[in-house]
Amino acid sequence: MNELEDIKLKAFLQNMELEKPGSDFTVQVMNKIFEEDSALEQIKSQKILGKGFWIISILFVVLLAAIFVVSNTGMQADSQIGQLLPEAGQGLTEGYDSFFSKLGTLPLSIAGITIAVSVLIFIDKIIASNSKIFA
Amino acid sequence: MEQKDDIYYIEKVKAGQTNYFSYIVERYQDIVFSIAMKVLKNREDAEEMAQESFIKAYKSLHTFKGNAKFSTWLYRITYNNCISEVRKRKMHFASTDDVQIADEAEEMNLDGIPEENRAQAIKAAMDKLPEDEYTLILLYYFEEQSIEEISKVTKLSESNTKVKLFRARKKLYTILNELMKDELYTIL
Repeated sequence: MNELEDIKLKAFLQNMELEKPGSDFTVQVMNKIFEEDSALEQIKSQKILGKGFWIISILFVVLLAAIFVVSNTGMQADSQIGQLLPEAGQGLTEGYDSFFSKLGTLPLSIAGITIAVSVLIFIDKIIASNSKIFA
Repeated sequence: MEQKDDIYYIEKVKAGQTNYFSYIVERYQDIVFSIAMKVLKNREDAEEMAQESFIKAYKSLHTFKGNAKFSTWLYRITYNNCISEVRKRKMHFASTDDVQIADEAEEMNLDGIPEENRAQAIKAAMDKLPEDEYTLILLYYFEEQSIEEISKVTKLSESNTKVKLFRARKKLYTILNELMKDELYTIL
């Protein structure tokens, strides 16, 4: 490129007036930045493991304890009934055992579902929080 | 000097003094807005795009290492933003071949343009340039960015940038010649 031409054109172009945004442009940009900053701070300060999570966890532990207590009571009741009804028919005893063994698997399934749901909710919450931070 | 000033403000912002970013916005708002305006051709959209570019720059300020000029880095964000927006809206990004280059284009006598008409003439000529060439001329002649810096902004190779800039300059001369002829006809 011709250097002299370049210098001339450069000087010539310095006369050009650029397009100007509105007078409050800087204020608008800064307001948006401050808004985003405070939103980010809010997200950062927000506990991922909130009250709800702890309430559900406590309820879950209580439920497990209750199941444990109930199943132990059932076992005790089983032996007591065996003592109380020594002459009862074998069919009745078998039916009684079968009923409680089937019932015994039920809390386990419920516990499994509850754990899975809790884990999914927990993961979902973590992902949602992170997506807000990195958005 | 300019480089030192920018880094001073950037360091302040990085240290948590967000307010200092307003100096950066003040300094570069016209050029960022001009590029956005040229591409989007609408004040509201251009203003929104320019704001978005500054916010993006602020958010990624921690990735700015100071190896290149801050302005180059900011213009690259702006240029990329504009290109993405054009693609999103399926708008036409005018390029080199929209204006025919005349043979006499290299012989433009810039001194022949009366001083009082220069600002008006250059604005009118720049308005007629396609978006990519407008950006090249603006960055090279107005912002005094080097070929290397412009190639970083536009993601063109340095040789391609040189060729495009050469063509852009010729085209600018062609447009200016035409404008001057029209002006002469009006006077006569």
